[in-house]
Amino acid sequence: MDAMDSSAGLPEKPLFIPVILGTPRKGRSSEHVANFVAAQVAARPEAGTELIDVRALSLPASDEGEAIKDPAFSATMMRADALILVVPEYNHGYPGMLKHALDSNLKEYIHKAVGIVGVSAGPWGGTRVIENLLPVMRELGLVTIFWDGNFPHAQKTFDKDTGALLEPAHVRRLEKFVNELVWMAKVLRYGRENVAIE
Amino acid sequence: MAQREKLKCPGCGGEMNFHAEKVDYSKALADPQSMDAEFGGALEEFHTCPRCKLTVERPATD
Repeated sequence: MDAMDSSAGLPEKPLFIPVILGTPRKGRSSEHVANFVAAQVAARPEAGTELIDVRALSLPASDEGEAIKDPAFSATMMRADALILVVPEYNHGYPGMLKHALDSNLKEYIHKAVGIVGVSAGPWGGTRVIENLLPVMRELGLVTIFWDGNFPHAQKTFDKDTGALLEPAHVRRLEKFVNELVWMAKVLRYGRENVAIE
Repeated sequence: MAQREKLKCPGCGGEMNFHAEKVDYSKALADPQSMDAEFGGALEEFHTCPRCKLTVERPATD
């Protein structure tokens, strides 16, 4: 049985937690956020990550769902133990390209953890887009955590040229978010692999 | 309660763990034969392999 190392609380296999940058738009501030989040996850000893840019996915607009799977994206989702979505708030909603990409898989997500990082140009750090995404996550079989990442005033939070973080408080805030996601990812991986419906 | 027979992983041959069921509405649209009239979509089950992490979706068996 692939259980956990009870002495350290670490899974025997490292967790794989890809970060999805959820907007293809030019000039996106979310790119700095996604790079920061991916670096924070990569620094964790128990987890590996990969940054996925929806702009780089090969998904035709003429159809939808699993009919348009991008094989590399689907394979990455299959390998994932948890996901982090970095999502800007556009008119209170989520980018259509992100929904288009997420809808191209299903079995790849079932009983995996997801954390959402909201990004906004104004105050509140994408809280409205996070709320809007919750029912979508549930329908895809993903399990949401109760910490969110919130990046208000994104243009002022990162150096626009270098992408360097200008608000150090985000480091500790994101650490709490990742802690919760890692816990949920460990629990759900154990459950997927060992706890059966009878 | 009797245990179900474990599905063999098509990737590595290991025993898979059955951990979820879900109504897949898209599948029923693409394949009307898969429609479960009581649920209004295709009732699917999901099995994950502890060894290679592959997840398999297949029609529910009951």
